Amino acid sequence: MKTVITCEVNGEPREALADSRDTLLDVLRDRLGLTGTKEGCGNGNCGACTVLMNGDPVCACLVLAGEAEGCRITTIEGVATGNTLHPVQAALITHGGTQCGFCTPGIVLSAVALLERTPHPDEHAIRHAIAGNICRCTGYDKIVEAIASVAAETGKVTP
Amino acid sequence: MTNLHDTAPVQPMKVVGQRLPRVDAGERVTGRAIYPADLTRPGMVTGRIKRSPHAHARIVNIDTAKARALKGVLAVVTAADFPEIKPGTIIPFGETGADAWVSAVIVLARDRVLWRGHPVAAVAATDAHIAAAALDLIEVVYEPLPAVMDIADAMQPNAPLLNPELKPKGFDGGVPIVRNAGTRTLIERGDVAAALKAAAAVGEARVVIDTAHQGYIEPHACVAESDPTGLVTIWASTQGAFQTEIQTAVLLGLSQSKLKVIPLEMGGGFGGKITVHVEPIAARLAQLTGRPVKIVMSREEMLTGGSGPAAAARIDVRVGADANGKITAVDGHYVFDTGGIPGTPTTLLMQASAACYQTRCLRLEGMDIMTNKPRTEAYRGPGGIQAAFAFEQAVDELALRLDIDPLELRRRNASVTSSMMPIGTPFPSIGLTTILERVAAHPCWTTPLAKGSLPRGRGLALGYWRGTSMTSAAHVTIAGDGRPMVTMGAVDISGTRTTMAQVAAEEFGLSLGDVHIATGDTKSVGYSDAAAGSRVGRTMAAAVSEACRDALAQLTRRAAEKLQCTTADVSYASGVFRSAGAVPASISLHDLMRATLTDGAVVGRGVSTKLPFGVEIGAQVADVEVDSETGQITVLRYTAFQDVGRALNPAAVEGQIEGSVVQGLGWALTEGFDYAPDGRLRNASLLDYRMPTALDVPPIEVVLIETPVPGVPYGVRGVGEMPIVPPGAVIGNAVRQAVGVRVNHMPMTPERVLAAIKGGRIGTA
Repeated sequence: MKTVITCEVNGEPREALADSRDTLLDVLRDRLGLTGTKEGCGNGNCGACTVLMNGDPVCACLVLAGEAEGCRITTIEGVATGNTLHPVQAALITHGGTQCGFCTPGIVLSAVALLERTPHPDEHAIRHAIAGNICRCTGYDKIVEAIASVAAETGKVTP
Repeated sequence: MTNLHDTAPVQPMKVVGQRLPRVDAGERVTGRAIYPADLTRPGMVTGRIKRSPHAHARIVNIDTAKARALKGVLAVVTAADFPEIKPGTIIPFGETGADAWVSAVIVLARDRVLWRGHPVAAVAATDAHIAAAALDLIEVVYEPLPAVMDIADAMQPNAPLLNPELKPKGFDGGVPIVRNAGTRTLIERGDVAAALKAAAAVGEARVVIDTAHQGYIEPHACVAESDPTGLVTIWASTQGAFQTEIQTAVLLGLSQSKLKVIPLEMGGGFGGKITVHVEPIAARLAQLTGRPVKIVMSREEMLTGGSGPAAAARIDVRVGADANGKITAVDGHYVFDTGGIPGTPTTLLMQASAACYQTRCLRLEGMDIMTNKPRTEAYRGPGGIQAAFAFEQAVDELALRLDIDPLELRRRNASVTSSMMPIGTPFPSIGLTTILERVAAHPCWTTPLAKGSLPRGRGLALGYWRGTSMTSAAHVTIAGDGRPMVTMGAVDISGTRTTMAQVAAEEFGLSLGDVHIATGDTKSVGYSDAAAGSRVGRTMAAAVSEACRDALAQLTRRAAEKLQCTTADVSYASGVFRSAGAVPASISLHDLMRATLTDGAVVGRGVSTKLPFGVEIGAQVADVEVDSETGQITVLRYTAFQDVGRALNPAAVEGQIEGSVVQGLGWALTEGFDYAPDGRLRNASLLDYRMPTALDVPPIEVVLIETPVPGVPYGVRGVGEMPIVPPGAVIGNAVRQAVGVRVNHMPMTPERVLAAIKGGRIGTA
């Protein structure tokens, strides 16, 4: 039995057919072609599929497609404005905070959600915010430095 | 973290050695990078694999009729759909060749299953739900056999024999054969027994290490497609496109002219993505259905028999010294768990563990033992962390018994350039003495350990990894505006595209943005070995620089014609060819190509073979806190010193070291497979198999030392493997100082720490 799921994805109204067993991750990747959101475990343990649902970071693999009905979803494809990168994305590039890149989209969304709520997090708050995102390549230092640098920059703009 | 960066007095360079962002970082932070699971092909269907519920069983019968009858199922395959590969089918692969039979057994079991999760059949269906239903309809009749899950049990004379048709190697000359052994290796010089007896003190470690997993976040995945001419194309996540091609061709019985492997982005490999797992199955299903087939493993499949974990081990090491702290004897016994099929090599890891020390007498014996676990595969300096967990704790124990500072003991015995390696040949240029001087002067060692509410300790351990060289190929063509376009035969691992673009930019005297760099597929570039063994940065740098110089030589001939002089009169720098006496006196690379593009392609060719090894040596220091009520170890501070020869890109090098150390800390503290006696993996999820999160590890301070390797372009050493070697021993030594006991079982989980504290276990078990 398939149903139509209607939600707002990256600011645009979208519709997709979903099986009752399908997750939001299945809809994003397989129906809408938004493959930037990755599946690393399917159990909510690795954070690679982190997206924002009504502004909150969630593991898309733990959200049934039906639960996304009427929701506002932001995926990695919706973080940059055209070719202008979000400061978190730019900082990850300059600080060497991405290696294989598979965890990176989830890290970006966790960091974006953190900075929207807490513009000036300390190191522990940054590490806490990305603790649900496992990265196997970087050892986290350069990711933490990148996010901290964005916090420091925004600090200069809005003291 | 702060980085102290020694700059060796070498000729200044403009691009090489710069801290530059990755050339492919933009696609990664925006989700545009394409991994195989992201690919969709017209008409694509889903492939799924059926796996054994038994750790050891004979396959009596497989009935696929009901699965085939399910609507939406397009094909079902078993081992009967593949040619039978006999043991000893050697293919060119790695340093010594590999047995294609091993790959065949890993991909699909034929007559018996050797571990839980061993593949027995596969389906292609129009969607994932139908594929899952079809797996349940495949009826497999098993005759269960006794399983053996621990190497100590597997070595018992009455243990079940896993592969009775294979003859153990290395037991010639009356050496008693060890049950379930694969290959025994021995390196021996001097009378070790007598030297140990005469020693003023002996440090000893007897350790057990659990199976762990490489833990790449991207599960194994591929898409395969077969076109009407019979050409099979595989889009793969692999450390070696050519290795995937040759294994798949042999397993399918397919001509390599009919097989193309296109490496897409790889979401981590660490040694676990060299042997094929899903590719031959997807290719056969694609041939049978005429449809593109995608197979993506689940994480549970990955952990439960779908991919090769890293070897469990049991290691005993004794190190003896005279009263002055001069090491006189090393005796090491290394038993590694190869899983269901033999072939996990012990010869390099046992040498690596002893390599940092000079000694007259040495005996290193190693062997791999078969158990009913998935066939183990390489993991970043394979075997290095296990061996060092034993060896570096034995050295630490020796220092305690001699009452000599552990750093001082290591200084007195450190290997130096030209001293004898364990194998008996002289060391090439190494910088261990410099590393130890740097440790001695660094605040991580000189600052006294601050008192906390819980016991604290500081640990030191050394690490060594040889790495390999093998072969790499690249070619360079020149665009109509003079821009170099580099194609390399190895996949990108740890930023290879970026560092190789830096090398090409340096060779041409151009900026990084002037260079286009790509990884080729198996039909567009020359053969290269896999991105493994700390080899790609070094050997590809040699291939790329040779290709650039070849292209520049061809361009110089064209420039000489335009400048009407001899090639000997032409010099080149930073995009301009010059000739002192000529009129005009110069022509830019841009103008030269504008004028001569249609005269024919410029193709520069570079092949690197037999490059000198770029041995990796380092030292690591950690401060830990141990809660003796809960057994919890907290790492407070971590510093990693490493001689990298020359850092092509210091940011990339630090990233390698930081990531590698954290993987080592994961195994040291929490990562271990928990097998039930019947072969079930009791922690088959990333919740229960616990890899470090950002909250579990401190910042890793990296100290780079640069002792260039002679005869290697830019003097580059391998980087990525060595840093995972010391962490187990570093933490073990710090815990010993903190609470006075050794936790001889890795990972050093809270339960094991508590048991060690309660048992008052000092020194050896």
